[in-house]
Amino acid sequence: MREVGERLARGSGTSLRHPFRALDDRALNLTSHDRDLRAALFRLVDVTPACRDVDDLGRHLAGLAGELADPPAPLDAAMRIAHTKAGRVALGSAVAAGVRHMAHRFIAGDSPRAARAELRRLWKGGIASTVDLLGEATVTAAEADRYRDRCTEALGELVAAARRWPANNLLERDSLGPLPRANLSVKVTALTPLLRPAAPERGVADAAERLRPLLRRARELDAHLHIDMEALDSVETTLALILDLLSEEEFREGPSAGLVLQAYLRESPAQLERILAWAERRPRRPPLVVRLVKGAYWDHEVAEARQRGWSVPVFTDKAECDRNFETLTARLLDARPAVRVAVGSHNLRSVSYAIARNRLAGGGDGDLELQVLRGLGDDLATSLAAAGLRVRVYSPVGDLVAGMAYLVRRLLENTSNESFLLARSEGASLDEQLAPP
Amino acid sequence: MTAAQRVEPGTFSNEPVLELRRASDREALLEALSELDARLPLTVPVLIGRDRGVGEGIESTDPATPSRLVASAGIAAGADVEAAVERAAESGAGWARRPASERAAILIEAAANLRRDRLELAALAVRECAKPWAEADADVCEAIDFLEYYARGAIALERGPGLLQVPGERNEMRYAARGVVAVISPWNFPLAIPTGMVAAGLATGNGVVLKPAEQSPGCALRVVEALHRAGVPADALALLPGYGETGRALVTHPGVQTIAFTGSSAVGLEILRTAAETPEGQRHVKRVVAEMGGKNCVIVDADADLDEAVPDVIQSAFAYAGQKCSACARVLVHERVAEALIGRLAGVIETLTVDRPDRFDTDVPPVIEQEAKQRVDRYRELAASEGRVIATQERMPDEGWFCAPTLAGELPESSPLLREEVFGPLITVEPVGSVEAACEAVESLPFALTGGLFSRDPATVAAVGDRLRTGNLYVNRQITGAMVGRQPFGGNGLSGVGSQAGGPDYLHQFVEPRVISENTMRHGLVVD
Repeated sequence: MREVGERLARGSGTSLRHPFRALDDRALNLTSHDRDLRAALFRLVDVTPACRDVDDLGRHLAGLAGELADPPAPLDAAMRIAHTKAGRVALGSAVAAGVRHMAHRFIAGDSPRAARAELRRLWKGGIASTVDLLGEATVTAAEADRYRDRCTEALGELVAAARRWPANNLLERDSLGPLPRANLSVKVTALTPLLRPAAPERGVADAAERLRPLLRRARELDAHLHIDMEALDSVETTLALILDLLSEEEFREGPSAGLVLQAYLRESPAQLERILAWAERRPRRPPLVVRLVKGAYWDHEVAEARQRGWSVPVFTDKAECDRNFETLTARLLDARPAVRVAVGSHNLRSVSYAIARNRLAGGGDGDLELQVLRGLGDDLATSLAAAGLRVRVYSPVGDLVAGMAYLVRRLLENTSNESFLLARSEGASLDEQLAPP
Repeated sequence: MTAAQRVEPGTFSNEPVLELRRASDREALLEALSELDARLPLTVPVLIGRDRGVGEGIESTDPATPSRLVASAGIAAGADVEAAVERAAESGAGWARRPASERAAILIEAAANLRRDRLELAALAVRECAKPWAEADADVCEAIDFLEYYARGAIALERGPGLLQVPGERNEMRYAARGVVAVISPWNFPLAIPTGMVAAGLATGNGVVLKPAEQSPGCALRVVEALHRAGVPADALALLPGYGETGRALVTHPGVQTIAFTGSSAVGLEILRTAAETPEGQRHVKRVVAEMGGKNCVIVDADADLDEAVPDVIQSAFAYAGQKCSACARVLVHERVAEALIGRLAGVIETLTVDRPDRFDTDVPPVIEQEAKQRVDRYRELAASEGRVIATQERMPDEGWFCAPTLAGELPESSPLLREEVFGPLITVEPVGSVEAACEAVESLPFALTGGLFSRDPATVAAVGDRLRTGNLYVNRQITGAMVGRQPFGGNGLSGVGSQAGGPDYLHQFVEPRVISENTMRHGLVVD
């Protein structure tokens, strides 16, 4: 494991190759250290698409900066010029440019079509992708229909684009058979306005009406459909929906489909047993892909539980969470070939553990997939690809400004301070990064 | 140090609501409901001391199945009011002499009684008042919270505030029980509100006479039983089920010192008028604590996050069919996002499930009674004739007092729909040119109970917060669901008089201040 980790760390190289990225890293690190500053920055990105013009944006910047007890010098200066319209316009323009710049890092394109070049570039660099369509929350039936239509269209676009990619055996085949090049991640909360935590059957029934045609389309086109997991309120609906639909006779032989297991949930081991029991009972070809992640709604789950006096459903101790991640990794690897395994993490130790554990069990590297997030795990992806491992980048697609707001709300706000990125830039030693949890 | 003082309660925290996303919690509730159904109807007698009257006269039925009798209650007559007030005054004197910590221990024990029966109590609120499960469970929790919170508050109050002391003088301030409290409670929080008002009176050492709404005597009985079983003397707490007549007799009774009322503005103002009288032989001025109506507005600014504003407005407007004093009635939206907001609100309304409250997938339950349904339906017709029904959802069961959740707009400024409290699942929406214009519209209303603001600009949030006199302003969240100790609840303007329930000032209304200043100097000798 140590060997794997060292090699990956070396491969990640230095961010000096990308001066802009180094700048972003610094901004992210700075804000990671100051919760208030980070919150202000995220709130600003969040409100950007709702601002009428750059003047309005400048006003919001000044307002949010005004809430900081101890604003850093540049913000302090910004607030002083925000009293004039010219000042606000200048500030607003700077923010708009900043958000766009940041968006390019995290968003692969403003549409699946626009993202084609980026996905092709990744593929040629030995990296696969899965596309996530960013958009507003679904509260009406029309919005759910629109999301389904966008997904249908995206499947077509992705498959058409992927046809022209060069062959890459590692990325399109494992020991169980072929792996689709086109890969789309969908969200159940976007597929139905009827998600009710106290009545999961209602959301399942409604979302099934929209997911079924998507599964059919994916099967026709030979694309992979991955169902994302979100906050705990929707987990039961999501899990029941996938297992129900994939049990239907017409989907026994495809498409390739997957779900997500969130290791930060205390109940994740029980969830995994439920998934594996299902997979054993209903063997399907191609097998279900299980993507193991830590989970992106930690802050939300903790705050909600504390507000309502519930026992916190997620691990609050990082080491405990990391240990659970490794236990689940091992359980998943040993459950093959009933399932395919993807491990999504930026934690060097977690990733190295998965790779080493797979090899130790006699598995081929091709029978384990690694996944990272665009914008946060790019260096890790490069080094995993260089090491001859199959890595897939989760690539959000959508309007750069509005999409960045959704991304901030749903992902970055919940990204823990304890990221690999931060640990590395602070000069944590390799030993520390690879220490057992 | 007495035994009771030794068990000083720990810090207050809210009773956790059930985690209804867990199947096990849902199953437990359904089981409690079927057990309750087997025992219905409950019999609710007039309870004065150890005397139990007959439980006949009032029929409390299930709004979702009006043929189901939930409770049969007696009607307290004038003589019952006389007897109840007299005994509450006598017994109250002894109750007041007990240390606050002892009374607190009893209230906390009553909270434990409610906690033990929480599933059954939630089921009763479902049946008697058509509260959907989540709301019914929250009602039980809030009742528990009031007991726990006021118990602790009364201990702190008994210590009295510190006064300025100078040499040769000892100044002491105490808060003493005022005397008999008449509680007149509504049906929409059939457990929490009577419990809260009764608990405040008892915690501070008063005898209490409770007259619950005629729509929810069953729930009131369970509250009174929980308190008696915990050790509140029978005479110190009477239950007088009845109609308006009973309430009127209670309010006019010269032995009543304090009236705690929650309900409609019409009744509240009538109580205030009546209570101002000081008939021959009454040696005090009555104090009235009244929580009344509202016409609660939600302002949505152009920079609002509609992904949050839309579900929060829907929840605030239609949960429990809009029958909360805090419910959203009017949406004032910046014209720049009006079309988007209205379109999305309309889309959500079309997806709402109007159904029985005992179903976990119900979004909108029936209203409380036939008269309420007729009233809401009349307002809905008015909306159609004066303006436009933008969206509605008319699929609903045939039986029961169901009303279609409705969004109306394009109403003339003079429309009663923009001023009067509908107390049902009907909201109106109006585009406004600015947040300032929205604030003017809010300020033109006589009510000032709750309000909402959706904005992502700290300057706007601060300005609206400074400007509006609304009792509870909620920013970027739903405007219902105040939590004891976290969101003290109550309105200003014509929405109410008195301090907010579940807050630090509430108990002061049930006590009178007494200051004793003693000269400790004897011929130049200062004794401290």
